Amino acid sequence: MPFLTPLNMKNKKLYYILIPVIILCLWQVISFFKLVNPLFLASPYDVFTHLISSFYNRSIFNDIGHTLYRVIIGFGIATIIGVPLGLIMGYSSKVYNALEFTIEFFRGIPTTALFPLFLLVFGIGDQAKFAVTAWGAGLVILINSMYGVHLGKELRIRVAKTMKVTGLELFRKVIFPEALPQIFNGFRVAISLSLIIVIVTEMFIGTEAGLGKRIIDAQLVYQTADMYAAILMTGVVGFLLNKIVMFVENKVVHWKGK
Amino acid sequence: MIVARSITKEIEKPYGVIKVIDSVDLNIEKGEFVTIFGPNGSGKTTLLNIVAGLDEPTAGDVLVSNKKPKDANVGFVFQNYNESLFPWRTVLQNVTFSLEIAKVPQVEAVKIGEHLLNKVGLLHSKDKFVYELSGGQRQLVSICRAIASNPDILIMDEPFSALDYSTTRKMELELLDIWQEKKITTLFVSHDIDEAIFLADRVIVLSPRPASIKKVFEVKLARPRSLDMLSSLEFTELRNAILNTFEYEK
Repeated sequence: MPFLTPLNMKNKKLYYILIPVIILCLWQVISFFKLVNPLFLASPYDVFTHLISSFYNRSIFNDIGHTLYRVIIGFGIATIIGVPLGLIMGYSSKVYNALEFTIEFFRGIPTTALFPLFLLVFGIGDQAKFAVTAWGAGLVILINSMYGVHLGKELRIRVAKTMKVTGLELFRKVIFPEALPQIFNGFRVAISLSLIIVIVTEMFIGTEAGLGKRIIDAQLVYQTADMYAAILMTGVVGFLLNKIVMFVENKVVHWKGK
Repeated sequence: MIVARSITKEIEKPYGVIKVIDSVDLNIEKGEFVTIFGPNGSGKTTLLNIVAGLDEPTAGDVLVSNKKPKDANVGFVFQNYNESLFPWRTVLQNVTFSLEIAKVPQVEAVKIGEHLLNKVGLLHSKDKFVYELSGGQRQLVSICRAIASNPDILIMDEPFSALDYSTTRKMELELLDIWQEKKITTLFVSHDIDEAIFLADRVIVLSPRPASIKKVFEVKLARPRSLDMLSSLEFTELRNAILNTFEYEK
């Protein structure tokens, strides 16, 4: 394949870092000439030194750990509830009709607007954060799992029916694998959404540790460099989470797009 | 063996009832290879679905090996191999699927699957995934999958129409080779007249919608068939006779 020649590989990497480098340069220029009040925008140099020192004194590890823990629990609950329920909704028109209105209704309400409700029910501990994350991510996973069944190839089900496959076996051996590519589309959106919701809950519900708390704490005392360092770290975490899901997707749904 | 008596199928549409099939009789012997040749949209697929037990006739009845189609073991090969094979399974796992459903012990299932794949020259690809194979190879996998459990009948719905000319001819030879070994009663729908004659013991010519049997032709070419028969006098005469049953409108 021509686009895999060494020269082009180099080009590909070049394109990969081109935009980040431009942004960094712009950022440096803006802060060097003080085009924006330094109170609102720290220089890249300051941000990176703060980030590195937070690794040196290990203070950021605790925050990353707490945030990741909440993302994984929230995303996990979302998966455990969202996938089976979505598959059943996709398969059974009765269940679909019973739940469609409710789900479409709640889907329209931003998860963040439901914080007060979740606080009332679950208190201000980690449980409320798990629940609100699972809610937001779960809706995405559920809807994609449902579409996975709807978008599955009818012909494969007919093939299975000529072989007298019915009931749970049909579900397990044909309908579920058929829905997997779409389920993973849901996972990719949901993992990023989980991180967003966890960060926001850490900022606004309050907690002892977490990247969201680190951001809001630094902001409150105008430690702008610290704040950007935490934001940058959150970006890295989000990027890596997405890469992990994509890696698993390529392993599990190896037939996708082929 | 397939016995069908005056199958009629009507479909209700918002603008009225459409007759798709008009009292079709079939009498296909055990081990016979019959092709159905007819225009597109004539209801061939509906007829196959009824024989396979996937659809019910409005009137008339069908018996497959003296059983209702729903209770018979039917192997079905569809035209669209990409959407009918299971991409999450390997080649061998696709072939042994029906055996797995029938709870055949795995060792035996693998033996049967490997024998079939060897027969069509795909044994070395057994652990590949189907998307790694060519179109012709994929359809061979579908055929192996359809016959793995020794079905009462094998139904094929224009299985080679998505393939190029030379691949199609190769596939026909492969198919006849397996059929010769297993002698499975086969009902094969084709819109390629050469194919319909080359494969069959009998060619059933259908009329345009609603489908009814226009004429049945016996194919007396010797078996095993070979490609040079395509240009034999017998073949061309039969071909002309079949084509003459169509009235062309200007």
